Amino acid sequence: MAIGEARIRIPDRITRGDLITVNAIVMHPMDTGFFRTAEGKPIPAFFIRDVVVTYGGEQVARFEWTSGVSKDPVVSFTLKADKEAPLAITWTDTKGGVYRQTADIAFTAA
Amino acid sequence: MTSRRAFLQRSGLIGLGFVAADALATSERLLAAVPGLDPGDPEVPNEEVARILKDLFGDRPIRKGHLTLDMPVVAEDGRIVPVIIESDLPMTPEHYVKAVHLIVDHNPDPHLAAYHLTPAIGSVAIQTRIKMKRTTWVRAIVDTSGGDVWAAYAHVNVSLNGCG
Repeated sequence: MAIGEARIRIPDRITRGDLITVNAIVMHPMDTGFFRTAEGKPIPAFFIRDVVVTYGGEQVARFEWTSGVSKDPVVSFTLKADKEAPLAITWTDTKGGVYRQTADIAFTAA
Repeated sequence: MTSRRAFLQRSGLIGLGFVAADALATSERLLAAVPGLDPGDPEVPNEEVARILKDLFGDRPIRKGHLTLDMPVVAEDGRIVPVIIESDLPMTPEHYVKAVHLIVDHNPDPHLAAYHLTPAIGSVAIQTRIKMKRTTWVRAIVDTSGGDVWAAYAHVNVSLNGCG
């Protein structure tokens, strides 16, 4: 997978008011700057440093990361599903790369 | 007559004494630099961690409780160490957890991540995977809307350096 490819996983069935778990992954090398290639060339630091989570356009969380987060970073958190609206996550890396993924929060009929 | 060996042994012991006294003074000084910590909490290992704690929480007490930090006791591969942070603190508009800070004492960049939350998140239940350089204490510390600070600590033995 290419850098910046991202997936968001939410439950299949959601009822209004549920506290759901959101799982997200983005492909990224998360280079610390401390490693070298096999030829001995230093690999410069290159990592995701900012993650913004919006729900229906409103910011609900923001994460500040360093290169200490593992390669192809995963994060999971909860969300109070109180409206039918898109959940969007935007990852920004140290070279200005911006990666975005969305998941639609929709309620199953009771 | 003092043999050379005995002399060396004695001076070696004196040397060790100096080192130990010095280390003790350093840890006392670092603890004093972070006024919020309880005596039973993991020692602050260096100036950088002391500064991070001071910058984030000032003089507010950092108390153990309302938070769990679930990590392996032994991490075989320091490149991928799972972390689960959970809290029973409320997430209402009046009282909520504003931020969760993850600090790995002996990592090159100890303040590894900060998770800024709002009541819409509903609960503190964060999972991720991190890199660890070597065996150390890990601190999860939350800052609440009311200004209270709660912490949980985990000691993780790292077999393979994951930071280069």
